[in-house]
Amino acid sequence: MIYSQKTPATLILGIVFAAYGWAVKQGLLDGMLAYLGQTKNADEMVAIALTAGIVGIIAGIVQLFATAREGNFDYYLSTIAGALFILLVAAVVKWQFAPLVAILSKAMGTVGGTGKPIHKLLGLNYVVLGILSGIIIVNYFKIPSWAENGVRLSRLGLKTGVILLGALYSIAELAKLGQLSVVMIGFFVLGSVGMVLFIGARRHIPNSMGGVLSAGMGVCGVSATVAAAPVVQAKSTEIAYTIGTILLWGVLMMFIFPPLGHALGMGPVQFGAWAGTGILNSAQVAGAALAFQPDGIETLKVAEIFNITRVLFLPIIVLWLAVWYVKRESGAQTVNVGKVIVGKFPVFVLGFILVFALSSTGIFAPANHYKGKYFDNSNVSAKKMLSDGDVATLQAQVDKVQREDRTAALSRLMENRKVMSIDDDDTLRGLVNAKVLDKGANKILKKAHKAVRHTAKRVKKFRQLIVWFFAFGLVGLGMQITFASIKQAGGQPLFIGTIVGATKAVGALIVILLFVQETI
Amino acid sequence: MAEPKYDRGSALSIFKSDRAEDFVALLIALVLVAVVVMFIPK
Repeated sequence: MIYSQKTPATLILGIVFAAYGWAVKQGLLDGMLAYLGQTKNADEMVAIALTAGIVGIIAGIVQLFATAREGNFDYYLSTIAGALFILLVAAVVKWQFAPLVAILSKAMGTVGGTGKPIHKLLGLNYVVLGILSGIIIVNYFKIPSWAENGVRLSRLGLKTGVILLGALYSIAELAKLGQLSVVMIGFFVLGSVGMVLFIGARRHIPNSMGGVLSAGMGVCGVSATVAAAPVVQAKSTEIAYTIGTILLWGVLMMFIFPPLGHALGMGPVQFGAWAGTGILNSAQVAGAALAFQPDGIETLKVAEIFNITRVLFLPIIVLWLAVWYVKRESGAQTVNVGKVIVGKFPVFVLGFILVFALSSTGIFAPANHYKGKYFDNSNVSAKKMLSDGDVATLQAQVDKVQREDRTAALSRLMENRKVMSIDDDDTLRGLVNAKVLDKGANKILKKAHKAVRHTAKRVKKFRQLIVWFFAFGLVGLGMQITFASIKQAGGQPLFIGTIVGATKAVGALIVILLFVQETI
Repeated sequence: MAEPKYDRGSALSIFKSDRAEDFVALLIALVLVAVVVMFIPK
């Protein structure tokens, strides 16, 4: 079978990418990039567009002028056009569409008392917009035949993204986790997975749907869904349905949790633990925590600790689902776990563990980093230290600060001209969020914060790569989803997701009110 | 998308098995890790 087609599409895509990269490099698009807030991504655009352009032009010329012969070369060559097609859609979404949505959303102001624009609340970022774009293309415009083979590369992109995700975490963070967070999260993660599987079986949804939904509802949203999908042989529609259920649930909870937390008189630790346990998507956990405590970051810190703990359970859940799926599909009463691990456990999840282990050795960033950010005040240059004028500005407003911890941190900052500890840094960030001081003083505090908080360059690069692999994979995933397949999936997953999500939220609330005090 | 007839891989993947796809993903990831470590300062 000959796969590659004699089409000019690959060459045209290559020329489009190359032209875009060249235009950005020459500064021809500076005005547009500035308007979209994308100037910081110019280097990334040049690198990706020129690379894709060169690949497309070479592959396009070969496809057009060489005689195709059946074999590996023809097979893999035929995927390049589709891969470039997905990449083009992903690039438009990430560089133009998502920033434009953000600009329009911000122009509409904030929603209610949340202090956030609508795109933040609805999570309209490249993840959602990428899947939606893919769905629109396949249902309204049809995938061109020359691109069909390349669309089958999207899952490879998602798997590579999950493996690289391990670079954002390290064992040092886990050492800081409280025992309570591990026990609580473990209980609710395993409980949610078990509950989805139980209800799913009762309501006769396919095992693949139940399996992937349980991982998404139990662990941590999109990444867990992607990681568990191959183990239970989930279809693209089932993956998208799970992601949709998680995001919808998260949006709803982001509105409900904060006022309920205030009504119940919860403190930052209690609310952070509740949001970190009950809300499934990381961005929405952060949104709820900040909505609960806009004038500080204590809640956010606790919520993040609970949130990160969930990732630990990912390999355990994947193993559980692998055994469960084999059992359900084969109808066997007992399953040889060792055999399942050897035969079914996804190598890419082991890859995630391997990269996580590498990250823990400190080769990507200092061992105490969190997602690539770390505190270091040992080498603050004279230019970045507070000036006499800065100190005078802060001194003039010190009386406005009521909380003792904030006054003390501010005094140490003024005395030493730089932030002296990670705790002081957190306290002063809370002070900025609280908007107690005027804009000028807050600007000085932000400058002091930037001087001691560093982003590890390697982790930053990994984050960029992960975003691209996910954008590529999710656009391709969307291109495999037809309206008919969504209709076929029916409303059961949403129903089950709602029951399990509500049970988890209420259960976590009860446990927290009974056992979690204001300190962990 | 109408499911095309492929004599290699499946409707979701160009690879002959999930495991083959996993190994390719792992290979790509490890190459990227090596490139990042070699060319980007800590």
